[in-house]
Formats: sequence, C-alpha cells, structure tokens
Amino acid sequence: MKSNQLAIGFVILAVLCIVIAALYAVGILQFLSSGSGVHIKHAILFGVLAVASLIAANFTRVKAV
Amino acid sequence: MTLLQALFMGLLQGATELFPVSSLGHAVLIPSLLHWSFRQSDPSFVPFLVLLHLGTASALLFIYRNEWVAIIKGFFTAAVRGRIETPPERLAMLLMVGTIPAAILGVYLESRIKSLFASPYVAAGFLIFNGLLMLGFEQLRRRAERRAALDSKPRPVQEESFAEAERISFRAAALVGACQALAFVPGISRSGVTIGGGLLAGLRHQEAARFSFLLATPVILGAGVIEVPQLFSSGVPVGEYIGAALLSAGAAYASARFLLRYFRSGRLDPYGWYCVAAGLVSFGLLALHL
Repeated sequence: MKSNQLAIGFVILAVLCIVIAALYAVGILQFLSSGSGVHIKHAILFGVLAVASLIAANFTRVKAV
Repeated sequence: MTLLQALFMGLLQGATELFPVSSLGHAVLIPSLLHWSFRQSDPSFVPFLVLLHLGTASALLFIYRNEWVAIIKGFFTAAVRGRIETPPERLAMLLMVGTIPAAILGVYLESRIKSLFASPYVAAGFLIFNGLLMLGFEQLRRRAERRAALDSKPRPVQEESFAEAERISFRAAALVGACQALAFVPGISRSGVTIGGGLLAGLRHQEAARFSFLLATPVILGAGVIEVPQLFSSGVPVGEYIGAALLSAGAAYASARFLLRYFRSGRLDPYGWYCVAAGLVSFGLLALHL
C-alpha cells in the first residue's frame, strides 16, 4: 500500500518512539517497568521500533519514477 | 549450583531449546524432580541463563552464518531502497516483522509471566498442553494434505507441495513471531509454537523449522546480550558458566542439525506424545514426592 500520508504517519510514530526511548533511557518514564531508574531494555526496544517505523515509512511513501 | 549441575543444565538447555519440547519447562521440572535447590526464577540465576542463551544463539548463528550475511545485507538494501526485490530481502523483512511483536511482549511480559508460572506443577500441566498443541498442529496439517489430495502420496512429495519460508505472508510472520511470547510460560515451547504456526501458514516442516530457528536467533541473542552486564556482578563463577554455555552451544548445534534433517519428512507427533507423557510422568512424580 503506497501513500504519502501513511508514510508521514510512520515518521510521526518514529519520532514518538524516539522520545519514549529517551524518556526510558534517562529514567523519567517508568510505565510497565519493574522498579524505578533507567530502563535500558525498554529504551532499546523503542529505538528499534523507531527504526522499524522509518523503514515502514520508506516502504509506503510514493516514489518518484 | 555445583559444576556438574551447571554442565547438566547447559546440556539440557542447548538440547531442549530447539526441540519443540520447552527448554524452560524442562529447566523448571528437572531440577525440581532431582531435588536440586536452585530455582530458575531466582535473580542470581540470570547470568547463568544469559550465557546459556548466548551459547544457543551462537550455534544458530554458526549454522546459518551464510544465510545471516545475505539476510543482513538484504535488510539494509531493502530498507534503504524501500522495496523488496530478492528472496533474502523478503526474508529479512519477514524476520523483522516477526521479531517486533516478540520483542515488545518479551520486554513487557517475560519476567512477569515467568515468575507467575514458575512452579513445577504448572510446568508439567503446560507441557501436556504443549504436547496436545503439537498433535493439533499435525492434525490440521493432515487435513490440509487431505484437502489437497496429498494423503496417499509419499511424505517427500507431500512436503514439496508446501511453501518455503520466504513465501510466508507478512501477517503470518507477525502472528508466528507473537506466538513466541507463549514460550514465556514454562512448558510451552518457542520452537514448537513457531514451527506449528509456520505449518498453519502453509510452510513445509523443514522450512517451518528453518523460519523458527532464524526467528529465534535475534530474540535469544538480543535477550542474552542485554543482560551481559549481569555477568560482571561479583560472585558469578564465570568459568563454570562458560563451560556450561559451550556445552549448550554444542547441544544446540547438534539438535538443530538433527531437526533440520528430521523435518525433511518427519512430523511433530513424536514430540507431542513425548510432551504429554513427560508432563503426566512429572505430575505423578511430583504428587508422590519421589
């Protein structure tokens, strides 16, 4: 499915994931994590999700021929 | 944990991680049946598990080393191009799609589920359920073979009628990947549910096993690498644990080689029956306090 709007959606999702990853990495976000402090595992997960979202954005954008 | 116990656990983990019989279930049940005092859910056990998993992942990486080079190359090429053109590129993207749900569920649910169900009775119960699941997957496959009028054909011909891993749909890859989360419950096998999922998606047995092993590698490796700092905490007998990890790697290598050969024409049934029998025997032994 090719759509620039969908691609923009994925880019926004990627930015959101990066922000969440940063919040987990500095220990501000504690959502669904065991104990307080820095949550590297969660931060890495959201980093990976950000990359996956950017890849999805590249796949869905309409390319110039 | 004594050196012999560590080596035994390494061998057990490596051998059962890839067979569809639940390594976690065996790791909970066997020490309990042998009256060993350590528990898998104990935090001090984590560095040991990390090394065993790294051993298993290394064996899988070694077996599929050439394929992983093509997959990694295909991943970057397809990601930058924004289009899939070759089978390794498609496989790379399928593995990414399959790994993401497993990673999300793993990060948020693994420790909670493991500690919730880390009882030998629960493990025995789920081992029986795992066996029934394997038998159910094979029943569904036999039905598909009957529908395609393949039931009277020899096994190799039946298998050839099904697809290779690269042909699986992205939706099926995501579902099979998410099924890996079931394996956080002791007694449910990661390779069992992913091979079964692959069969339901129309893959050959051998291809379902290949997809399952490729899918397991980043999850097992990632979970292991993230926990590596725990190895450097004081009091960890690293030498002992490395010995166990090497045994785990050797056993995983031999298991993977055996299974890939076996699934050329073999089915999940023997493992299903084994799980049912092992679960029932474990229940009996636990109940009788033997």
